[in-house]
Amino acid sequence: MNNEQQEVAQFVLAQMPFSDLDSSATDYFVKHLDVIYLTRENQTQWLQSASPKLFLIRSGLYDLVDAKGDVITRLAQGDYFGFPSLLTGEAIKNRLEVQKEGIVHMLNQDAFDYLRREYKPFEQYFVRAHANRLLSSHYKSQNDSWSERKISELMSRKAVTLSPDASIRQAAKKMKEHGVSSIMVTEYERLVGVVTDRDLRNRVLADEVDPLQAVSSIMSAKPKFIFENNRVFSALHLMLKHNIHHLPVLDEHHKALGMITSTDLLRQQKSDPVQLIGRIYKAHSVTDLKRYAAEVPELLRSFSHNIDDISLIGKLLSGLTDALTSRLIYLFQEEHGAAPTSFSFICFGSQAREEQTLHSDQDNGLLLPDDLSEQHQDYFRRMGEFVCEQLVECGIRRCPGNIMASSELCRMSISDWCDKFFTWIKSPTPQAMLNCKIFFDLRFIEGSTALYTAFCEQLTRISRNELFYAAMATDIKSNSVPIGLFNQFKLEKDAKQHKYIDLKKRGVVIINDIVRLYALKAGIRRANTQERLDALLKHDLLNNHDVYNLKDCWRFLTQLRLRTQINEEGLPSNCINPDKLNSLERHQLKEAFYLLKLAQQAAAFKFARGSL
Amino acid sequence: MVKRWLNRYFARKQLLGENALTQRYLVIDLELTGLDPKQHEIVSIAWVLIDNQCIKLSQAQHAINKDVRHLEQSPVYHGIAQQDVATGQNLTAILAALSSHFADAILVFHNATLDWGFLKQAFQAKGVAAHPKLILDTFHIEKKRLHQQGHEIGLDDLTLSACRARYGLPHYGCHHALTDAMATAELLLAQCHQISRGQQLKLAALL
Repeated sequence: MNNEQQEVAQFVLAQMPFSDLDSSATDYFVKHLDVIYLTRENQTQWLQSASPKLFLIRSGLYDLVDAKGDVITRLAQGDYFGFPSLLTGEAIKNRLEVQKEGIVHMLNQDAFDYLRREYKPFEQYFVRAHANRLLSSHYKSQNDSWSERKISELMSRKAVTLSPDASIRQAAKKMKEHGVSSIMVTEYERLVGVVTDRDLRNRVLADEVDPLQAVSSIMSAKPKFIFENNRVFSALHLMLKHNIHHLPVLDEHHKALGMITSTDLLRQQKSDPVQLIGRIYKAHSVTDLKRYAAEVPELLRSFSHNIDDISLIGKLLSGLTDALTSRLIYLFQEEHGAAPTSFSFICFGSQAREEQTLHSDQDNGLLLPDDLSEQHQDYFRRMGEFVCEQLVECGIRRCPGNIMASSELCRMSISDWCDKFFTWIKSPTPQAMLNCKIFFDLRFIEGSTALYTAFCEQLTRISRNELFYAAMATDIKSNSVPIGLFNQFKLEKDAKQHKYIDLKKRGVVIINDIVRLYALKAGIRRANTQERLDALLKHDLLNNHDVYNLKDCWRFLTQLRLRTQINEEGLPSNCINPDKLNSLERHQLKEAFYLLKLAQQAAAFKFARGSL
Repeated sequence: MVKRWLNRYFARKQLLGENALTQRYLVIDLELTGLDPKQHEIVSIAWVLIDNQCIKLSQAQHAINKDVRHLEQSPVYHGIAQQDVATGQNLTAILAALSSHFADAILVFHNATLDWGFLKQAFQAKGVAAHPKLILDTFHIEKKRLHQQGHEIGLDDLTLSACRARYGLPHYGCHHALTDAMATAELLLAQCHQISRGQQLKLAALL
């Protein structure tokens, strides 16, 4: 009978995942379908949490809208919806806005579950679709920043007001009393003007106005104001636009509530880590630096609780290391005289990528002009040794591979550095590939930018080598993504038989490697993976969809990786036991690995076709 | 006799006042060897059920009449060839299965005059009792709607596919009895929506 439902069967068979499945799946699907004409009026009849269904659109046009009223996606012929509730058993959160009514196929939970059990690709398809939707909605919800907060949350002081017929002197006295730099002039509780410190100077003292005159004669009448329910961002915007530093805050009945100043706003922006970096840049002795550096771990702990974006932590730690390094170079020159020639202090690896953790070690070097005298070489030797030693004192470990400016091998002239890179590119041995992964992520810290730019230009030129790209792609391919056929995790075991997945080695590192390869090919001179991906959007090496996928994966894995630092089972660091994740995170992790595997294959195909 | 007729009359009158959107419908399509009930035969019968505005494919049926003698029209058109006929069922059995739904469902055809004409003839010939409580015709519904909108109606304006196109329903290429029954059912849902527009819809409005 089923194959006689030709039109429906033909349509279904043309849709993913049925196009990849045995026709028996289509037969089953068609046999258990309900068909409806979905309209604005009857949609609530079909979208009920008590009986979730899979919907497949045959005709019409519908917008999927979330609880907040934001359109998640537009649905048309061949699109599915309703599967999140079928997968998770959670209530339906989204609703539809019918743009054009039409025919929709509907499958109930039992039939859906049967197909999930019987056909693995069916299961995979919907789990993946679900994870994708979560990833993208997760992205959207990241934008909560301080500037989105309401004015009322920020305003602490009570309104300081006086009437328009009060004298200028009375105004000045009242401001002094309350320790404020501005005062609101109100009549029957309504705001009529503002007087600031600056007005008292410019309009009273400078113009020799009698302080016994009424304040209304010198106030700024009809001032700009903001309501308590507005966003901080709006206040900032108003202040910048009109170049004002004081903004009265009113309630909805225009009653004066208080004053918000540009300093209040700045205080919001300035989080503790930023202040710490500021202090480091002003430190006058190594002792001070060490004291500040000692605050970092505690600071990080308190900071990591109240930020949304985990990738900020890597940036923050790298920023702190940069600041320490810069200041040490400054202090060295204070003591031993300014550098005799131009130089660039550079960093590599995780510091360059701004992915540092508390356990990261030093990866730095010195880039010097060619043909330095021995005396000058000695100066930079001492600088390198000083900086690296003091960084150790500040808690940043020595590099076990000796990638440090204190080592002769990392304190070289431009030509020598280029020769070094050239050797690796020419003969891509495994050791050379390993070096490339560290040294091709490089970033300028201190010194001469001209020297650094000149070096980067040469480096871009010598790295333009297809065989080298192929070698890198092959190397990337050799690091396996821990996901098998049928979407199962491939776990590793340690000596104590713990099963785990190494999120760094099997995830983040692979993304970094892939992105580095594309960035080299595109000639992008950035070290941070997210920034490289952003830059890749402007090239046509990778399509934008793939770039976004990589960004999402990177974020997700990094986020998850941070959790492993508080792991309970005594697993190696950066490792996670997928059984400890909830089912949603497991799906997301599988999805991330799946996308990663695709990206890995695509890179191998693009760069290493000839050699595989 | 009169009493039975009166009973049916009042039952029908009551039914016409009911909500059209919550009814159970039996949408039927026939494949025929020609257009004359007197000399042509039923090749196959297909039906789908609509319950509460929902077409249940699990209850859809398609049955070939194994007693058909002359497949006069092109078998390509029906998609039914002589060898398919051998796998069919006896017409009396098909009619019995079909009429078992008559008590609790309203019949729907696209162009009832033709299809119901054949069925009535067949029910009589095979001695199967069949008293549908109501028959709706999507052809007629569309004709009335177009008239009310003041449209000139051309010869081809009321074919199943022309009607469907008017509602933006997908184009179905094949003319299989089951596909046509499905197509008619979807058309009915679209028509109900178009006429009711969120308001109450009484069955009488569909006559």
